[in-house]
Amino acid sequence: MYSKKLVSLCLVLILGFAILGVASAQEKIKAAFIYVGPIGDYGWSYAHEQARQIVDEAYPWLETIYVENVPEGEVEGVIDRVINQEKVDVVVTTSFGFMDGTLNAALRYPDRIFFHCSGFKRAPNMATYMADFHQIYYLNGIMAGALTKSNKIGYVATFPIPELKRHINAFTLGARRVNPDAKVFVRWLQSAWYDPTGAKEAAESLIAEGVDVLAFTEDSPTVVQVAQEHGLPSFGHYSPMLNFAKESVVSGQLVHWEAIYFDFFAKIYAGYYNNKNLENVDYWWLLREKAVELGADFGVPVNPVFEERLKNFVVNDPMYGEVNALELVELLEKAMSDPEYVFSPFNGPIYDRKGNLRVREGERLSLEELLTIEWAVEGVEGSWPGEPE
Amino acid sequence: MKIKKLTLVEHLQPVPTSVVGISALALIAALGVVSLIFAAYGIHPLKGYQTLFKGAFGSWYALSETLTRTIPLLIVGSGLTLAFQASTWNIGAEGQILLGACAATWVALFSGLPPTLIIPAMFLLGFLAGGMWALLPGYFKAKFSVNETIVTLMLNYVASNIVLYLIHGPWKGKSARGFAYTDMFPKEAWLSTISGTRIPILTLVLGFLIALACYIILRYTTFGFRLRVSGQNPQTAKLVGIKQEMVTLWVMFLSGGLSGVAGAGEVSGIHHLLRHPSHISLGYGYTAIIVAWLARANPLAVPLSAFLFGALMSGGDALKVSLGIPFQMVHVFNGLIIFFLIAGERFMRYGLKLTKNGEVGM
Repeated sequence: MYSKKLVSLCLVLILGFAILGVASAQEKIKAAFIYVGPIGDYGWSYAHEQARQIVDEAYPWLETIYVENVPEGEVEGVIDRVINQEKVDVVVTTSFGFMDGTLNAALRYPDRIFFHCSGFKRAPNMATYMADFHQIYYLNGIMAGALTKSNKIGYVATFPIPELKRHINAFTLGARRVNPDAKVFVRWLQSAWYDPTGAKEAAESLIAEGVDVLAFTEDSPTVVQVAQEHGLPSFGHYSPMLNFAKESVVSGQLVHWEAIYFDFFAKIYAGYYNNKNLENVDYWWLLREKAVELGADFGVPVNPVFEERLKNFVVNDPMYGEVNALELVELLEKAMSDPEYVFSPFNGPIYDRKGNLRVREGERLSLEELLTIEWAVEGVEGSWPGEPE
Repeated sequence: MKIKKLTLVEHLQPVPTSVVGISALALIAALGVVSLIFAAYGIHPLKGYQTLFKGAFGSWYALSETLTRTIPLLIVGSGLTLAFQASTWNIGAEGQILLGACAATWVALFSGLPPTLIIPAMFLLGFLAGGMWALLPGYFKAKFSVNETIVTLMLNYVASNIVLYLIHGPWKGKSARGFAYTDMFPKEAWLSTISGTRIPILTLVLGFLIALACYIILRYTTFGFRLRVSGQNPQTAKLVGIKQEMVTLWVMFLSGGLSGVAGAGEVSGIHHLLRHPSHISLGYGYTAIIVAWLARANPLAVPLSAFLFGALMSGGDALKVSLGIPFQMVHVFNGLIIFFLIAGERFMRYGLKLTKNGEVGM
């Protein structure tokens, strides 16, 4: 239902462009989506694939193909294939490791358009985009802080890169907003984005150490399943995971890549974006743009099983006074969805866990700082590769 | 009527004509099963083969992609023929490739050598690193008769974790924004390619020279003779005084070293940085085992079998792109081919008797 609303919105947009005579009367657009993982991973590539199907269905003038499990070193070769054999106009690449290959291809095919996810290099015919979860993780953290009894929260993480550090920090900040004693214990897998075996081991070992709530970043529903076996609350990641563990998944992070794809392709179709003006086009879409959603499933922000417990957890919040955890989540979600970004999880003052003041009172982290964050906030426990002094 | 089969015992060496015939039949049988898989995906098998063929040879671009993948298979496969001829089962080429890639990366990023020396040093150190890595199981086999198959295989995982450690830890690039890659190599460490393709000229030439060199070693040197005798008949080798431990050490070092060269070639020719191990090698170390096997450990046949598997990989890409077939299909092809080859082993010897009657194969 949500996507239909968006479609109609975009159609209005296109009509608008057309009436204004901006449209460059392009007949049909063919696009290729190139994924680093298998589309059945229930994580990153799966989410992009869902979005591809939604836009493909919604736009009659858009034809799409996809290529899955493309190794990072091979992306240029695959781009050559989709351009030469499949004659696509637009190439969408969805892994940071595709960045240089995509840029090289963009220089070699100046008449095609390239759209790269999660990178920072652009060209006149290559734009970048990202839908980020740090706000959602903050809201998940609030719920985790309210639900933990041992004040130990577990976090299974894949690779120690800024994206995960940003998310774990936001999650921890959220938890400690309502529960200053809460600590987040992190386990790094450092194996692969999809590693159910490693995720299971990590989750089990965290539980053995006494954590009683679990969150994670990995591309399978393993952690929520382990949590369910032990009767513990958990948070889903990237796809709706409620159905994998109905008694365990409290909420989670959901993505709507289609929000970005709807916008981008509509603007190409309308001629607003072309192969000469993308140098500064960088989507960094959050709650405000509805590119991300808080939820155990689409349309289910909080699993009803846990509503009672969250309502019974009342805190004295510095911004909102006396509220329960559920109300606080709703209020902050609204604040972060505001067009003016009135609230950021990274509003100062924030100290790192070594005691350095990282964000001053009245300031917040800039986009650049969010993208390159390496330090850990107070309350994060465990190893933290690359931690600055 | 089954009496003829009994003569099978007497013939231990397959006849070349029956080897070629049976290998071809095995390939055809594998492709036959593949057509069933195409059909299961609702794709007409002929259309499937056509896409596979066009994707591998259909244009200069397709051919260039096939060659790009042939190169590492050729280099690694040639080296493995030495080990296999000596009945030393080096299954660790994948790890040896990665060690070679690490050594080459060190040269490119941290050695501080003058630009003209960088590429030769990358390949030399790549060779040494791969060779030393293989010497480890070689030493244990020579000294304590530890099964090299298991040790080489297990060391692949160790090698993979070494790469992960380096890219997440000390070698993590400053320009990688926290992602797990090293910095990009300076241009002096890039191999030049045939224009308009990704084929590195140096490793292409090197590949064929290495295959030729391995053939010469095996056929025309006393070392090659010792190697073959210890491989085919360890008892005889013992009796004539061949030091089999030395043979083991040398074939491990050489086959590992050549895998290391392939690894150096991949990072300097294709990637220009060190990245996740599964993206550095694409399983070349494992596929090269099938390549050497299909070539019956004859280095002169390796270019052909390497090219065949290069074509399968590149054609497999075309299947992914044009028909939306899952990527695992290419592994299924490889598996089917080796399955039928192994199944055909028996017939190659059984066919010996029949060749006397002027018939080949079955």
